[in-house]
Amino acid sequence: MFGLAKGLKYTLKNMTRKKLTYDYPNEPLPLPDRFRGIQKFYPEKCIVCNQCANICPTDCITLTGKKHPDSSKRGKIIDTYDINFEICILCDLCTEVCPTEAIIMTNQFELAEYSRDELFKDLVWLDENDTQLRKENKA
Amino acid sequence: MIEGLLTSEATWLHFFIYFALTVLLLFIVLGFVTYAILAERKVMGFMQLRHGPNQVGGRWGLLQTVADVLKLLIKEDAIPRAADKPLFILAPLIAFTPAFMVLAIIPFTDRFQFADIGVGLLYYIAVSGITTVGVVTAGWASNNKYALMGAMRAAAQMISYEIPLVMSVIGVILLTGSMNLNDIVLAQENGWYILWQPIAFIVFFIAAVAELNRVPFDLAEAESELVAGYFVEYTGFRWAFFMLAEYVYMFAMSALITVVFLGGWLPLPYLGFIPGAVWFALKFMVVIFLLIWFRVTFPRIRADQLMEFGWKVLLPVAIANIFLTALLKEWINLF
Amino acid sequence: MIRTEEMLLNVGPQHPSTHGVFRLVIKIDGEMIIDAKPVIGYLHRGTEKIAENLQYTQIIPYTDRLDYLAAMTNNYVLCHAVETMMELDIPERAEYLRIITMELGRIASHLVWWGTYLLDLGATSPFLYAFREREMIINLLNEISGGRLTFNYMRVGGVKWDAPDGWIEKVKAFIPYMREQLAGYGDLVTGNEIFLNRVKGIGQYTKEEAMDYSLSGANLRCTGLAWDLRKSEPYSIYDRFSFEICTADTGDAWGRYQVRIQEIEQSLRILEQAVEQFPETGEVMGKVPKVIKPPKGEAFVRIESPRGEIGCYIASEGKKEPYRLKFRRPSFYNLQILPKLLVGQNMANLIAILGAIDIVLGEVDG
Ligand code: SF4
Ligand code: SF4
Repeated sequence: MFGLAKGLKYTLKNMTRKKLTYDYPNEPLPLPDRFRGIQKFYPEKCIVCNQCANICPTDCITLTGKKHPDSSKRGKIIDTYDINFEICILCDLCTEVCPTEAIIMTNQFELAEYSRDELFKDLVWLDENDTQLRKENKA
Repeated sequence: MIEGLLTSEATWLHFFIYFALTVLLLFIVLGFVTYAILAERKVMGFMQLRHGPNQVGGRWGLLQTVADVLKLLIKEDAIPRAADKPLFILAPLIAFTPAFMVLAIIPFTDRFQFADIGVGLLYYIAVSGITTVGVVTAGWASNNKYALMGAMRAAAQMISYEIPLVMSVIGVILLTGSMNLNDIVLAQENGWYILWQPIAFIVFFIAAVAELNRVPFDLAEAESELVAGYFVEYTGFRWAFFMLAEYVYMFAMSALITVVFLGGWLPLPYLGFIPGAVWFALKFMVVIFLLIWFRVTFPRIRADQLMEFGWKVLLPVAIANIFLTALLKEWINLF
Repeated sequence: MIRTEEMLLNVGPQHPSTHGVFRLVIKIDGEMIIDAKPVIGYLHRGTEKIAENLQYTQIIPYTDRLDYLAAMTNNYVLCHAVETMMELDIPERAEYLRIITMELGRIASHLVWWGTYLLDLGATSPFLYAFREREMIINLLNEISGGRLTFNYMRVGGVKWDAPDGWIEKVKAFIPYMREQLAGYGDLVTGNEIFLNRVKGIGQYTKEEAMDYSLSGANLRCTGLAWDLRKSEPYSIYDRFSFEICTADTGDAWGRYQVRIQEIEQSLRILEQAVEQFPETGEVMGKVPKVIKPPKGEAFVRIESPRGEIGCYIASEGKKEPYRLKFRRPSFYNLQILPKLLVGQNMANLIAILGAIDIVLGEVDG
């Protein structure tokens, strides 16, 4: 009986404690800077080195480059860049390898859509996804 | 007042007055159920460091239950194809009707009572037993193995715990000399029975929690073992009937405990200026809070331990209490 | 004569207490179980096969998804295996960060177990209390790794990030807080008579049986055998800390409960020492060749995860990808004893026994 009484006391004590739940949809969840959310892409920084597509463990990045329009410059510029968020596991490896930080993580994680097709994000979408960017991108 | 009505001439006017009062009680009970569910969720939430419902109906979630009930009512009424259809439909009704029938005999104040019958206590226990039939029917008719097991557990549990429940109140009956609930309340003028009959109170309370199928005795619907027990196949308003029955019983049982052990509408000494109805409500709420508090704190007892506890602990204690009371009474009479 | 019939009951794959998609086909006579057969594989994703086509760094996020309640130890076992093969030196600071995150993960994992186990036994509140503390740990790990569950924090040769400013202080502050809460758990559950009646003598086996079934972790230590790889075969820098191997001698669910609760305490002790000794400065990434290619050969390493011994076997042909990768997943091995324990028990004990083994389906099915 004594053990039961102790338990009752414990729950009663907790009744007036501070509540710990988040008011989630009304207030955004506070997330640390390093949080791995949906990527932001800077087309102008990308040098089309393909490292991100190679490291991606789920093969969800597809990219194509094209010749630099200004023929005096060497190298390529990005033409299309898609991430398939149906299979992206937000593992952070693409942003880790990118030499120019053309792709970085943001703090957004809300990816619910009504159709699978909408999870296929292209260059324009990823470029416009520019809120809550990660500040410190390299360790 | 109601006594007068019952013995008065059978005119339409009297009938309608009586009818109106009954409807009033119905609304009180439904109102209670609505807010008991809310209170339960809120208190549980608070004890578990959550807020509980706070979306529908303001910060306190005052309309949450109403919204839930509406949702249940407009839900599709699914009956499993392999179920025994007539029984499946009948079961919630069998379970739920007695819950309302027992309310008739509860004296809420010295005047607000619908049937002042001599064997009030017995009536309560007898009628509430019918619900078990509904539960077993539901479990059988669902044609689901989990439901069947839940129903068997419920039957075993209700039979086992009804006995200590009756045995424990015999002490009270001995001291009062009557089974009429009004008499029982009035006999508590110089001290509630919780003081004179503490053992009986504890046994009664434990057995009552078991009768109500609440934690720690919620084996019949044991979510983590039997998924939902006997009503696993029920949805929508049929399921709501079971839920309603459960909470109406909670209402009735708490009222009964208030009446039998906590002095019903009787006030504490020197506080007689507060009306009886308020006193009743206060004591009643303490009992309800206790039930919720238990639910938050305890794990579930195992089926075989439950049986053992009922037959090997509660029953002997209750019987011993009867002897003790009899001796006590003789001893008092000596002087 | 009443004719009775045995009943075949499918517990799961969708059942509130199977902790995932685990299916158990039981034959019951009334509520008594006379035969039990676990059916697994509903969450099989073929991690080991996928890994054969991936570079070592790419495998790390997959290990997060095996034992998803303690992803740090999974990260570590893979990195440890590769590092062993390549004979890499790990910087001091990285080792400390690894230990701190792994021990935090161990506490979080045990907390989830504690909460869900009590939920299985019908008590709703402990779950929410446990998740309050777990949330704090998750927030700490989120801050350092950027993930709440799938951390992907460790790399071959070190860790991905250094601790952010003030992180070590937060861990330091968490330790006394957790101790205090642990005492509260004792009040709420450990002394509760109903609870004790539910777990004492349930799912009992002897030391020999445990060894025969190759059990590990708390399932083994509850029989009184003091075998904890952190002490018995120290890896990383565990030999620098003083802590005890938690054992119980009952061999039942109650013993397993006690072992896990004590392990939280011991983990706190390790954490305390680790944050104390934490080097002021230093690298978090060792000198690792740009392309990770372990030499031809094979290696097997094992470490202590919250659920038992997790092992990693790598067969390498000197390529960027492993030729074969195999995980010894403790939940999978621990589950094997379940049918034996279940025979003769009733439904309520089924849940108590299954819960006490502490399986994570991601790990069972791989
Ligand atoms: S986060 Fe991981 S899975 Fe997603 S695109 Fe980048 S590398 Fe691929
Ligand atoms: S790694 Fe960076 S620079 Fe290279 S292709 Fe990807 S985004 Fe462009």
